[in-house]
Amino acid sequence: MIEEVVRYAGLAMLVAGGFINLVGAVGLIRFRNFYLRLHAATVSTIGGTFYPLLGLALISLSTPELGEWRFFMGGSLLTAAFILLMLAPAGSHALARATHRASVARPEPVIADHLEEDRGG
Amino acid sequence: MRRYVPVAVLVFAVYIVFSGSVSPYDLVIGALLAVGVSLAASRYLVRDPSKACSIGRFARLVWYALYYLTVAEFRAHRKVIGIILSRDMPVRPAIVRVPYRARGEYTVVASANSITNTPGTVVVDIDTDKSLFYVHWIYAEGLDPETAYENILKDFETRLSRVFE
Repeated sequence: MIEEVVRYAGLAMLVAGGFINLVGAVGLIRFRNFYLRLHAATVSTIGGTFYPLLGLALISLSTPELGEWRFFMGGSLLTAAFILLMLAPAGSHALARATHRASVARPEPVIADHLEEDRGG
Repeated sequence: MRRYVPVAVLVFAVYIVFSGSVSPYDLVIGALLAVGVSLAASRYLVRDPSKACSIGRFARLVWYALYYLTVAEFRAHRKVIGIILSRDMPVRPAIVRVPYRARGEYTVVASANSITNTPGTVVVDIDTDKSLFYVHWIYAEGLDPETAYENILKDFETRLSRVFE
């Protein structure tokens, strides 16, 4: 009984993650500049990667057919999810900062750019 | 001595969870790794041993993670998914100044990571002299630093200060 509940919770996370990834991909196409697209990409970080990995961990833990290996799979998926949670923003920070410093992409449309003002723009 | 314990416990726990087994082989390797890594890295990671050993702070970190991963993320995802799927895509993008009050490095990094991980806000740059984050905000409710602080950072920072400060 409890195994069924856990497995369906994992499956729900997986399906929700698929939907969110789809939305993120649509956002990447529809948004008009680099910075807005970055937001579409962060949608896929938590909703589209962290939660599906958690869901996969739940599914593997609730599948007795896997034997001892289910703990290995579940454990490594769990660790991967949390490490991703901590490291993914570092990539976004580096991308955003480098793009703004090098001015390779204008943040247009924009209603205010205080970073540009403070840097002596 | 107390400086080394938290790092060793963390490394051992990660090793055991990752390997998913409690066989004598894994226990021994995990313990050796924990001792080695904590001897090498503790002096860079732990500045105040009494904070790192506190169970109460750890409990508040777990509580923050639960709150952040469910309530805060759900709210932000709903908003950005709404923007992406709506017909006219109502955005009000701006790069705003967000002043932070935190002093500790862990608090600042955890706040910045929390802001970037929530869809709709990305930290573009940081000014450590003036204690400012520059945040790209997809739907700016207001441009002055106080409004931005209230909307973006306050919630995360007050909770994280109770863990790390």
